[in-house]
Amino acid sequence: MSTQSLFERAAAVLAAADETDATSETNKADGTDGTFGTGALGRPAASAPSLWRALRAADALPSLDTDPAVLVDLVCEAGRRATPAPLAETLLVARPLLAAAQLPVPDGPLTVASGPLDVRFAHVDTGSRVGPLGAGGTDDAVRVSGTLSRVPWARGADAVVVLTEGPSSGPMLLLLDAGQCRQVAGTNLAGEPRDELVLIDVAVPAERVRRVPAALVEEARWRAGLARAALIAGAARRCVELTVAHTSSRVQFGRPLSHFQAVKQEEAKLVEEAALIGAAVGAATAALAEPGAAEFPAWIAAAQASASVAEIARIAHQLHGAIGFTELSPLRLATTRMWSWRDEDGGEHAWQRRIGRRVVAAGGGDRLWPLVTGS
Amino acid sequence: MALSPLATGAVTLPVEARKLRQEVRDFLAEERAAGTILGRPDSWLTGWDPAFTRRLAERGWVGMALPQEYGGGGRGNLERYVVIEELLAAGAPVSAHWVADRQAGPSILRHGTEHQREFYLPRIAAGECFFSIGMSEQNSGSDLASVQTRAERTAGGWRLTGTKMWTGGAHINDYAIVLARTEDSEDRHAGLSQFIVDLRAPRIRVEPIRLLTGEHTFNYFHLEGVEVGDDALLGRPGDGWRQVTGELALERSGPERFLSTLPLLTALVGQLQRAACSPEQHGRVGRLTARLASIRQLSLGVAAALEAGRPADVQAALVKDLGTRFEGELVGEVREVLPVAARFDATRGTYPELLAAAILHSPGYTLRGGTNEILRGIITRGLELNS
Repeated sequence: MSTQSLFERAAAVLAAADETDATSETNKADGTDGTFGTGALGRPAASAPSLWRALRAADALPSLDTDPAVLVDLVCEAGRRATPAPLAETLLVARPLLAAAQLPVPDGPLTVASGPLDVRFAHVDTGSRVGPLGAGGTDDAVRVSGTLSRVPWARGADAVVVLTEGPSSGPMLLLLDAGQCRQVAGTNLAGEPRDELVLIDVAVPAERVRRVPAALVEEARWRAGLARAALIAGAARRCVELTVAHTSSRVQFGRPLSHFQAVKQEEAKLVEEAALIGAAVGAATAALAEPGAAEFPAWIAAAQASASVAEIARIAHQLHGAIGFTELSPLRLATTRMWSWRDEDGGEHAWQRRIGRRVVAAGGGDRLWPLVTGS
Repeated sequence: MALSPLATGAVTLPVEARKLRQEVRDFLAEERAAGTILGRPDSWLTGWDPAFTRRLAERGWVGMALPQEYGGGGRGNLERYVVIEELLAAGAPVSAHWVADRQAGPSILRHGTEHQREFYLPRIAAGECFFSIGMSEQNSGSDLASVQTRAERTAGGWRLTGTKMWTGGAHINDYAIVLARTEDSEDRHAGLSQFIVDLRAPRIRVEPIRLLTGEHTFNYFHLEGVEVGDDALLGRPGDGWRQVTGELALERSGPERFLSTLPLLTALVGQLQRAACSPEQHGRVGRLTARLASIRQLSLGVAAALEAGRPADVQAALVKDLGTRFEGELVGEVREVLPVAARFDATRGTYPELLAAAILHSPGYTLRGGTNEILRGIITRGLELNS
């Protein structure tokens, strides 16, 4: 056991897998040895399992009782490093949902999907009344058909946590093996896998099915929002780092770009916007410690992170000049991800409307300020 | 170690602070019922109500972070933060004691003589002694080191000559802390000193500068050879620059840098609650709420850092730029959500009148406390030193 913290050990593994870090000796650009490959655009099916192997080898794979604050920090780091694996999905969404639903939690990379599916009881109770959705079952084993679209990292995940409407109304959580689904590859703006999963009469045994309360569906939503916000926080930090490095080293008209007032003005706003996301994610993370208090701060983090992406990407690209707009610069690894992540699991407008409804609806009088202060 | 600008860290307020927040809200509910709180924007600048200040002081909420031996509350800065953010969010009239509570008190505690502490601090905490800031001058706005006001040695003390500008409340407060040049020096940051000047002293002339609303809060404050004793000197001669800049982080990162226009948003939400609200309107309210909550977290992070004795100048500049820009954006956004013609002659406290007040005050948000364009230079310089 190393004397470093879990975060430090894991961060070292993520750094080694970071293809933007030219100084990284373990960076294997061709991916032929089965390590990390060229990330999302290259061999994502292999990159997730290999990252998991590397985390295990470094004793850096978080366990189920790892402090949530450490998990969020790790996901930020994954966003900063453009890590080619579903760390956010696994650590901040899939695992906590499975644990809350008292389903077994697999050890490997996981992903999450939700949507309407055709779900029927596998063992039909012939004695039950037949309702609009069919007969009841003797147990909760089901057979599932349908399509789940834009599933993050499906091709690199061992299992998929699926939230869908059950056969007797009310939400259901299913744990599917990735191998049970047909996969149709798709990608987001950054080339990260966003695959379609086609389920053709897939049998799910009762021990992998749970009827869950509506609150868990809400939890899945805010957890996904927080996970995206943490990733964006990390990518935003990378934008700041790359931009500061560029403006302080690039010389034009005989002085570094950072000495130009016009550049300083924009760079400060870039830093501010990134700091704002960091603060919102930090607050949402702190709120995880108090059951029931985490939802609103997670919405805030998701809304703010998504909303800040445009300004951060705009300034980072503008200050990088033309080089940032090409594959010659690693900036794109952060900005294309942010442009995708802000739309996934919501998008700022959906988060903002949700927040606005809570603020305006909440029983007359001034609820705005108490919601902001959390009390 | 200085904080990374991107990681101020989350702040969880202590349980006592939550109790305190509820006490303040209960008090504010009573005051609202009594009609003393109009929920106006910029209440820390224009809401001058000494009676309200004294009621706050009776509850120990003025000078609450000053030590008990000087009549203060002996409570932490985070608890003070909770109290002032509640007061500002409600638009309570806190301008009478604002400078005494935020700057003069802590400054006298840190730099003052024992005699000065014993003389001023208990009166500040009792809500009976109000201060103005005499820093800026006609030709010294953001460039404070260029002050022209001079203090010359006399037999028993100092003689102050010069004109201060933007001196809020000089016509109604009791004292001003004046930054003056006591020595000429190659180093423009050297040779400056601070003095506590009695605003009723002879050879002081106060001349109003009216705001766009016609309100009188700012002044020219002419020191026409004002004689003060040795005991007027605050801190050590020549240390003025260090003393002044040492407090800037506190001044720039507090809740008054993002809550000045919150009462307008609260009024808007009240209007929307009485009407059918569209998804577009919900979205805009949500956007403002998310930004407000995020900026508040950054500001709290700075408060916690300062409380722990860690420098946070860059973060404070960042909060000030973000927060004061938000104060202005809020006004524009509120107009979009519920388009109503702003009317300064409408009944005081109604939505069109609050909107008018916020618009007429809006140019000031990003100017006071250090112009934002200048603060951005502090932010980028801090970044380069860090990287």
